[in-house]
Amino acid sequence: MLNIKNLDVSYKDLQVLWDVSLEVKQGELVVLLGANGAGKTTTLNAISGLLTVIKGSIEFLGKDITSMAGYKIAGLGIVHVPEGRRLFPEMTVRENLEMGSLFPQAKAKRNETMKKVFEFFPILQEKQNQEAGTLSGGQQQMLAIGRGLMALPKLLILDEPSLGLAPVLVKQIFEIVNEINSHGVTVLLVEQNVAQTLNLCHRAYVMENGRITLQGSGAELLNNQHVKEAYLGI
Amino acid sequence: MELFGQTVICGILLGGMYALIAIGMTLIMGVMKIINLAHGALVMVGMYVTYFCFQEFGIDPYFGMFLSMPVLFFIGCLIQKYMINRLVEVESILPENQVLLTVGIMLVLTEAARLIFKSDYRSVATGYSSSTVFLGGMSISVPMVIGFFIAMVFTFLLHLFLTKTDLGKSIRATSQDRDAATYLGVNASRITMITFGIGSALAATGGSLLLPLFYLWPDIGHLFTAKSFIITILGGMGSTMGAIIGGLILGMAESLGATYISMGYKDMVGLVIFLLVLLFLPGGFRSLAKR
Repeated sequence: MLNIKNLDVSYKDLQVLWDVSLEVKQGELVVLLGANGAGKTTTLNAISGLLTVIKGSIEFLGKDITSMAGYKIAGLGIVHVPEGRRLFPEMTVRENLEMGSLFPQAKAKRNETMKKVFEFFPILQEKQNQEAGTLSGGQQQMLAIGRGLMALPKLLILDEPSLGLAPVLVKQIFEIVNEINSHGVTVLLVEQNVAQTLNLCHRAYVMENGRITLQGSGAELLNNQHVKEAYLGI
Repeated sequence: MELFGQTVICGILLGGMYALIAIGMTLIMGVMKIINLAHGALVMVGMYVTYFCFQEFGIDPYFGMFLSMPVLFFIGCLIQKYMINRLVEVESILPENQVLLTVGIMLVLTEAARLIFKSDYRSVATGYSSSTVFLGGMSISVPMVIGFFIAMVFTFLLHLFLTKTDLGKSIRATSQDRDAATYLGVNASRITMITFGIGSALAATGGSLLLPLFYLWPDIGHLFTAKSFIITILGGMGSTMGAIIGGLILGMAESLGATYISMGYKDMVGLVIFLLVLLFLPGGFRSLAKR
């Protein structure tokens, strides 16, 4: 479904991604792991068309999207739920959700999808007329994911949805991600929360200093000596 | 007492029209994060378009306004797309470049108007220009009342547009988080262009409503830039409601100043309030509501 080949990306003169290759197949839940500054978010922003790629290619459903404008990429069905939620704080919960469904197909099913999102997150229905900025951290993350679902994504990209949340909420968010995936939405999840996500995913990539250093199924990586030492502290 | 009532009402009516101009500036400021110092010049151009329609074809200013709005919408879109956007995309040493550019645009518009219409003071003489209605013992100017109500109707329509339509919501979303809007498929540079167009059209509307009340000359733009800037700060940046409140306060301050101090000092009262707000309420009146 998503195929990244030999990607190089730089911010002005500073190259941050080297030869990144990554694949996400239809229906999978793929995790991209790595420490702060490893280049995870940069990879996602390159997919979403916010950055200029200097070398390599990004293909989605057989279509080259390497140098496509960001707003068009969203129209293809790649929905990016950014790190730090990035809600519209002075718009209501409902308006935030509506902003998720701007494209014709998604707009036609707006009310239907919103019902489904409210089933996933009943708290959002309760607070639908409240400004997004007044929600708690966990509720904001739910709204961010809900806003992503409103676009009827083919590929849902989640950038550190567990950031800044209490452990019990983290668990809940991952359960929801799993459930969304089991409903047939392909998910690319970026995380630092290694143990929990490796148990959850089909396949995973590990990123270090702007390169993919390891890849394999979740179970394989959980047993990998390097992952154990560097990320799980065993 | 009647004098006081008349002064306050007059101030509110005037303030409603100022508010419409300031809302245009607020919209542009919210989405683009720049202060558009050409805003007053756009008001001036809008007034000249309406004036021209009146002078050449005898079209009443309240109808000429509907010609002036699309013209200014178009000019606003062009300025944004071919001038300001180009600077946004370029890496520049001075981030203030965009503001400097708006100063340049202001000068060009002002001098172009001077070239075409000369520096003469002009006014629109309609049948109702100097007519008044009496409310108890208070006399209130008819064009002010009409202008105020039209301004309120436009403010309400704009509010509906921003809260009920996808395009309006996209404008608000872009002003709150440009990148997040792009992730959701909003074409942010198209949105900024439309916003600049709408802001300019509102400037034209406000200017046209004030045309029966003010003398028109090319430099009148500076006056409106200053007024809308003050109103925007008074209300709290980027807030439509704040701009309305700020507009009403400035209108009343000018009106009271003109009546009780002297006509020549009316702008001073507004500026003193502006300074006090900057010193003691830096977030504008909007921050009071948030507490």
